[in-house]
Amino acid sequence: MPDFTSRLLVALGPEVVRTAPEDLAVYAFDAFSEDRLPSAAIVPRDARDVGIAVRIARECGEPIVPRGAGTGLCGGAVPARGGLVISFARMNRVLELDVRNRRARVQPGLINLDLSRAVAGAGVFYAPDPSSQKISTLGGNVGTNAGGPHCLSYGTTTNHVLGLEFVDDEGEVHRCSIDDPGYDLTGVLVGSEGTLGIVTEIDVRLMKLPEEVRVCVAAFADVESASEAVSAIIGAGIVPTALEIMDALITRAVEAHYHAGYPEHAGAVLLVEIAGAHDDVAAGEALLSTIAQRHGALSWRAARDAAERDALWAARKGAAGAIGRIAPNYYIQDACVPRTRLPEVMHAIEEIAREHALPVGNVFHAGDGNLHPLLIFDRREKRQVQAVHDAGTEILRTCIAMGGTISGEHGIGYEKRETLSLVFSADDLAAMGRVRDVFDPARAFNPDKIFPSGAVCGEVRA
Amino acid sequence: MIAPAGYGLGGAEPARVAEPADASELAEELRLCAQAREAVVPFGGGTLQGIGNAPTRYDVALSTRRLDAVRAYDPRDLTIGVEAGITVAALTRTLAEHGQFVPLDVPDAERASVGGVLAAGWLGPRRAAYGRPRDLLIGSTAALADGTLASAGGMVVKNVTGYDVGKLYVGSLGTLGVLVRANFKALPKPAAQRLASAELAEDARERTVAALGALTVEPVAALAVDGFGGPLRIVVLFEGSEATVERATRDLRSALGRSGIAETTLLDGDQAERAFARVLAGYTEVVADRTITYREPGLPASAWERARRMRALGAEVIADLRTGDVIARFARQHARTVLPRATILAGAAALRADLDAWGEPPATLPTMRALKERFDPSAILAPGRFVGGI
Repeated sequence: MPDFTSRLLVALGPEVVRTAPEDLAVYAFDAFSEDRLPSAAIVPRDARDVGIAVRIARECGEPIVPRGAGTGLCGGAVPARGGLVISFARMNRVLELDVRNRRARVQPGLINLDLSRAVAGAGVFYAPDPSSQKISTLGGNVGTNAGGPHCLSYGTTTNHVLGLEFVDDEGEVHRCSIDDPGYDLTGVLVGSEGTLGIVTEIDVRLMKLPEEVRVCVAAFADVESASEAVSAIIGAGIVPTALEIMDALITRAVEAHYHAGYPEHAGAVLLVEIAGAHDDVAAGEALLSTIAQRHGALSWRAARDAAERDALWAARKGAAGAIGRIAPNYYIQDACVPRTRLPEVMHAIEEIAREHALPVGNVFHAGDGNLHPLLIFDRREKRQVQAVHDAGTEILRTCIAMGGTISGEHGIGYEKRETLSLVFSADDLAAMGRVRDVFDPARAFNPDKIFPSGAVCGEVRA
Repeated sequence: MIAPAGYGLGGAEPARVAEPADASELAEELRLCAQAREAVVPFGGGTLQGIGNAPTRYDVALSTRRLDAVRAYDPRDLTIGVEAGITVAALTRTLAEHGQFVPLDVPDAERASVGGVLAAGWLGPRRAAYGRPRDLLIGSTAALADGTLASAGGMVVKNVTGYDVGKLYVGSLGTLGVLVRANFKALPKPAAQRLASAELAEDARERTVAALGALTVEPVAALAVDGFGGPLRIVVLFEGSEATVERATRDLRSALGRSGIAETTLLDGDQAERAFARVLAGYTEVVADRTITYREPGLPASAWERARRMRALGAEVIADLRTGDVIARFARQHARTVLPRATILAGAAALRADLDAWGEPPATLPTMRALKERFDPSAILAPGRFVGGI
């Protein structure tokens, strides 16, 4: 019997199949950067190609890992056991745009921002906007149920996916929709990080562009007072479209890089976006600035025009990149707490970083209680690497103790799989294992991801 | 043992009714039923039991009535965790004290339980603006047939920690597990609420419906209702700030004026809410024990046309212009052939006896069957009630 790679080549041809080590190297990494070469990669043209490759991989006992742009921060796209990587680089089109019914059918390799650009002229937009949206793909977004700053009022990816086409573990193509009678397969596939099936088409919900969008920036003395202001805004029952905080370290790095107009000398910056009807935006700004000032805002300023607004957002979304200029290495954590706990958790993070002698930057979706502490270190210093690991785990434990969780939008992937059992009981995990049993009994799809090794009854069989 | 009154389903009566005091008692009850191979139908308020087929076996009615506590609510978090047996009205009142709400849009909120509403997969008109119940649910705990309690999600508004198993219980009609706890994202209650309704003249119908789709301030619900106790009319609900609702009303009036409609009835606040609740009540009402009501999902742009077709066949109809739902209430049986994809919301036993409540099953049915088999291997949970005989 011919081997795995030759069978792939025979079935799909060299245009689709990659086998040379130098070609495969690019599929060994994601932004978490644990590296291992797959045996082969394919760049499919359609779902049929995916189905054929899945069948061959299964017959050869090779695991299968789907891949978008590889921007994931938890090792979700890394082929932990080698095998087959499916890259969706070629399946990147908008297949159908139905503005009247506010939906679009897209391929998983389509870049998030390209969708919003493609539909903007029609007065609609796609709401989930992860900071990586310039490069991350919608397929990857579906895998991790990606969020972004605007999820505060619009919800995360799962709230915007109306249906999926996916390839199952036998290579068969299926379609599901949230309007189907029966179990909500769409709902459980979103956020399953490629462990239940390979998504080959996505039906997304589009939203009407708001009449007015206003972006405001407030300066604070420190992160805790900015967090107090956010807790107070949410506590007053106001949900603007975005409420983002950057601390002094991040703000300085961002300004040095982007010159977007953030107050460079502030201890923390609060970025607020208010969208809606004209009257509501004006009233909203008045109310929000009052609350912010009551909680110590030193200044409040609204962007003058769309260009300034876009510049502020571009800088905010580029924050992690800007840190790269001032730090040899950084580790970005993702966790969530109930929003009343924000000031407390920010204080705790500062303490944890200090104990481990690590500089920490904070840039986060404050309105959602979704934290992203960035621990700065030097990879060449063994002790620092260990400190980052310890501090990261301590931050997660702190968030769990406050009633929070260990991932708001990045996923569990490879990185946090052992931490999952801090959040869920064996019975909780067993129920998830049952779902896995149905879709992927052999654990062929993205093995060694999400679930702790050996903790789920089904997982032991893998 | 409690007398099984009011727990009949399609002519079948349970041998007994269990009313566990809390989640662990409920889970233990399930475990014992599974051991004894007793078929269990979970019961909340029973208001949406018209959804789904009659069970093929029915030994125990499992009531969540006593699981009615609010378990976690700090209004400043804009999240709330409740036991599944709490009524929608009680949830709504708790939130309203702090100016918040969870828009579930159910008929008979005083009796309907939160768990029942989720399990029945209820979908109301305002979901176009606020999301479906599945989108508002941020965490859940279900009792499974093996007696375990399994949670997913949590009390935070953004979460991608493990599978979103909660979504499987929503709309499962209790066939995978029994919801015992639900955590929701709460929303700030809009300052103003206004229900506008107007009768539609025969010659201006299409123009009016088109005009509704082009309003600058979008209504949270826009229905064209024909029958259900009145002539052909539009029912439009606006929610938001006072200023925006005022502006929306002006826009609506001038749009209707251009279509030759001079009379618009406006109701505000509580009155609007009550009038909206009366419209919702029609969705599940069986008139004189001789009607059957369907919900057909579809695209918003085709809702009006689909509703007109059903009207021509003699149905009372609601075209939901924002969600695309068509609600059609017939006083006779043959409707299944013209609505192959619709689900039955409520119906007289005589009319639905030979009809499947779900219509054509989707092509993914084998996967659904496998899920059922894996979660409830002895098939004790609401057997036969779900899609494809699950």
